[in-house]
This record gives sequence, structure tokens and C-alpha cells, in this order.
Amino acid sequence: MLLRRLLPLPLLLVVASVVAFALPRLVGGDTDSVVRAVLRARVASATPDPQVEAAVAAQFGLDGPVVGQYLRWLGAVLRGDLGLGYVTRTPVAAQLGDALAVSGLLAGCALLLAAATGIPAGVYAARRPGGLLDRVLSAVGIAGVSVPEFVLAPWLVLVAAVWLGVLPALGWGGPQHLVLPALTLAAYPAALAAQLVRAETIDVLARDHVRLARAKGLSEGRVLWRHAARLGCVSVTALSGMFVAGLLGGSVVVEVVFGIPGAGRLMYDAVLARDLPVVQAGTLVIVAVAVVAGIVVEVVALLADPVARDREAAR
Amino acid sequence: MRRWPVACAAAAGVLVVLPFLLPHPDVPDFAAILAPPSAAHPLGTDQLGRDVAARMVAGARLTLGLSVAAVLLTGLFGVAVGLLAGASKGPFGAVLVRTADLLAALPTVLFGLLAAVVLGPGVPALLVAVCAVGWTPFARQAHLLTVRETGREYVEGVVALGATRARVLAVHVSRNIAPPLVAHACLRFASTLLTVSGLSFLGLGVQPPTAEWGAMVAEGREYLFAAPHVVLVPSVAVVLTAAAATVLGRRLSGGGG
Repeated sequence: MLLRRLLPLPLLLVVASVVAFALPRLVGGDTDSVVRAVLRARVASATPDPQVEAAVAAQFGLDGPVVGQYLRWLGAVLRGDLGLGYVTRTPVAAQLGDALAVSGLLAGCALLLAAATGIPAGVYAARRPGGLLDRVLSAVGIAGVSVPEFVLAPWLVLVAAVWLGVLPALGWGGPQHLVLPALTLAAYPAALAAQLVRAETIDVLARDHVRLARAKGLSEGRVLWRHAARLGCVSVTALSGMFVAGLLGGSVVVEVVFGIPGAGRLMYDAVLARDLPVVQAGTLVIVAVAVVAGIVVEVVALLADPVARDREAAR
Repeated sequence: MRRWPVACAAAAGVLVVLPFLLPHPDVPDFAAILAPPSAAHPLGTDQLGRDVAARMVAGARLTLGLSVAAVLLTGLFGVAVGLLAGASKGPFGAVLVRTADLLAALPTVLFGLLAAVVLGPGVPALLVAVCAVGWTPFARQAHLLTVRETGREYVEGVVALGATRARVLAVHVSRNIAPPLVAHACLRFASTLLTVSGLSFLGLGVQPPTAEWGAMVAEGREYLFAAPHVVLVPSVAVVLTAAAATVLGRRLSGGGG
């Protein structure tokens, strides 16, 4: 069961690798035109020697059938050789590694912040559906999913950095640089998590095992958190898997607005500069993160839900 | 609830009439650069002296038009796929659901970036990016609803009366799965709007000087301190539209909000 759910995920990586491999061919045309362009740049000869052409094609891995080219390229990628970026002429793997560390930190903070605010908000709202707290949180939640990052970020900068002057408007380095970007990134997942947890917890609170927990005299807080909220959070785990990939790849807006040297910004700059090796590598990494997050989520969801765990163990 | 169509019609009327009353959205007025709201420019002017209100209205037509077009395209395609998958007995349905899940796990901005590399930044790339993943939630929802509906007794009934499978799907099932799908389309409209304007904000979609809400925020951002109204107007427009569509979608789907 678990295996069958996990199996398609690596397939996505294969598809992504084909897309990444095909990208320069979609953009730059066929092998001949690439080789000719290289030759034109290197030797100012209008009619290049076929032998030289073949040598250049081999040097760029553009000789032989396309499937062979793909396999050789894939082999290099799997060895960690992602080539040199067109713009900086430095290894893409190193550029991407540095950027991923930055984005990972930012995404981690944002996700923690979202979980720390969204989950309790959802559980408290579920305690009295339709109550004042529930209605207030619901309105905040709608704002949270309706205010996009590109709107939230500039206004946070204006208020916190320009008017109040308490936080830096942009840059990267100290913990003070994390606050505004993490807030911006956390708004949407927090709102979504709160809504999901609220709905699930209301559902769980009506179940028999909660009645039993109340009947045996547990305090309302313990019932709410230990028995209801725990199950209410299962679907949030699934959601967070989507957010990890989304935050890492999708923090483009935030990283651009706040001037953060992360993976999203690297990818964005590479797109504008048509720095194809970086775009290829970035695509692969974002998909890989999504795949790994997907696998982790499936496993965690299994561990968090006792019923599903028993069902799995019985197999 | 009955007031919604009236409100939508009123908003559409405003978008049709206002361009005749306001200055041209792309014509600069160098005498009034970053001017605050006045009688001549009700919402002020931007860094080139263009009328912010006029640009907001022009941007509304583009932003909303692109979002509606994308939702219609992805909705029709996704629902068709989901309906067929839900009605077929084979493994098609399971494959579809997994494919939709996989695509949904990827950030939309990735598709925006890739489309911009291949096609060059612009409206075609924007539409490709939005539609590449946009059909999957519709397909999933339609699949789910179709599976549920085809198991109902009334379907059994019309089959017993001699209805063909095509007729069951086209007449009976589709009519019953339509209301939740319309609600879903409202929610999709909200997120599509944010994607369209977000990609345009990044310069990957609608290109300046064309007025589009996200592009307007991007252009005005440098003058945020001196003239906040340039960013405020498109910001409020995006947020209110998205929030309205979200609330409407939730009301239609029967939830609170």
C-alpha cells in the first residue's frame, strides 16, 4: 500500500530530468545550430571543417543519438556534475548548494512559524465553531489566503523597515534578516493549516474516542490536544509536504523582494539571463525536493495516525 | 446570496464605463508625477504621471480576463478528464489522481519560470504556466464527484430505463456534479488571479508598460515610501478580488466563511 503510493514519485524525477535535458534543445534549437554558433564564436570561419564540427559536438556532449546524449548527461548529473553556469562560469552545483542552504533555512523558519501559529489557531477555533474566536480567525484566514506574497512583502517593508525602522528592508546575514521574509512566506501556509486543522478537529471532536476520553474524566485541554488535535493534524502533514517544495521553489517572490541569495532567486536570475545550466539544475532540485517531501509526508502521515498505522502493520 | 450576481454585474458595468471617464492608462502626464489623489486623477498618478485609477481599471480587465480565461480553459479540460476517468472502470482513474497529485506538489512558479525560458516572458508563457497545472484540481474534483454520483441509485435507475453510458454522463451525472464544480471554479479563480498577477509582478507575465495589477505593484514598489498610493491601489484590488472569490466559492460549496 505504502509502496504503491510512493512508487510514482521517483517517476516524476525521471520526467523532470527529461524536461531539464530537453530544455536547451527547446530553447537553443538543434545540435547543428549550437555547434555552428560555438564555432562562429571561436573561429571566424564561415565554412567550418566537418571534423572540427564533430569534435565540438563531442566536447559538448551533442554527438550521437539523443537517447545516448540524455544518458550521458544524466550520468554526469547523478555524479553531481551539473556543468558551469553561463553567467558566472562557476560550477552550478556549488552555486545551487549555497543557495539551497539559504532557502532551506528560510523555508524551515517559515514552516515552523506557520505550524506554530496555524495549528493552535485551528484547534482553538474548533473548540467553539461559530464563536467569536472562530469568526475572527476565519476572517484572518481568508485574508491569509487572499494576500499574495508580492503584496504582503512590500507593505511589511514599508511598515517595519521604513516607518518603524526596526528591521532591515533587505539583505541576508543576521537573524534580523529572517523576520520579514519568514513572516511573508508563513502567511499563506498558516492560514491554510488553520482552516484544515479547524475542520478536521471539529470532525474528530464528534467521534467516539473523544467521548470516551471525556467520559474517563480527562481535562478538556487534554482531550482537545492529546486526542483531537493530534488526529486533526494528520492532513496538515500532507499539506506541509506540498509547502516544503512550494516554499523552496516558490519563495521566488520573497527572495527577489528581500534580496535574499536563495535558490528561488538564483533560478529567477537564471531565467532572466537565460542561464540554462542553472535553470536545468534548479528544476531538478525543486522536483527532487518535492519528491522527497512527498515520501516523508506519506511516512509521517502513517506514523501520526494510529488507525492507519495499525492497518499498515496488519498487512 | 442572491445579491452576488447583481454585485458582479455592477462591477463589470464599472469596468466598462470607467475607461470613458478616466484618462488613458498609458499616457504619461509629466506635470503630475507621483501626484496624490486629486480631482483630475482620483487615485493619483504613478512615477510616469499615468493615472492610477485608469491603470487599475485597465489592469482589472487584463488581470481578470486572463484569470477567467485560464479558469475556463483548465476547468473544461480538467472536468472532461475527470468525468471520463471517473466513469471508466480501468486504472485510468487511479493514474489520473496520482498524476494530478504529483503535478500539484510542484510550485506553480516553477512552471512560470520554465515557460518564460522556453517561450520568453509574456502573456503566452503566463497562460501556459497557469494551465499546465491548473487543470489538475478540476480533474481530481470531477473524478471524485463522478465516482460518487455514478454509484447513486438514480444512475442505476436511468441505466435500467435504457440510457446509454454517454447519456448518463452527459445528462445526469454532469448536471449533478456541476454545482460543487462551480464553487471549486470560484476558489480556483482566486488562486489563478494570484498566480497571474504574481508572475506578472516578477516580470514573467504581462510586460510593462501594459497595466496589470501585479506589474503595477512591481513598478510602483520603488516609490513605495514617496507615493504609497501607487502600490496601494493595485494591492487592494488584488486582495479584495481574491478574497471575494474565496468567500463566494466557500459559500457556494456550503462551507462557512
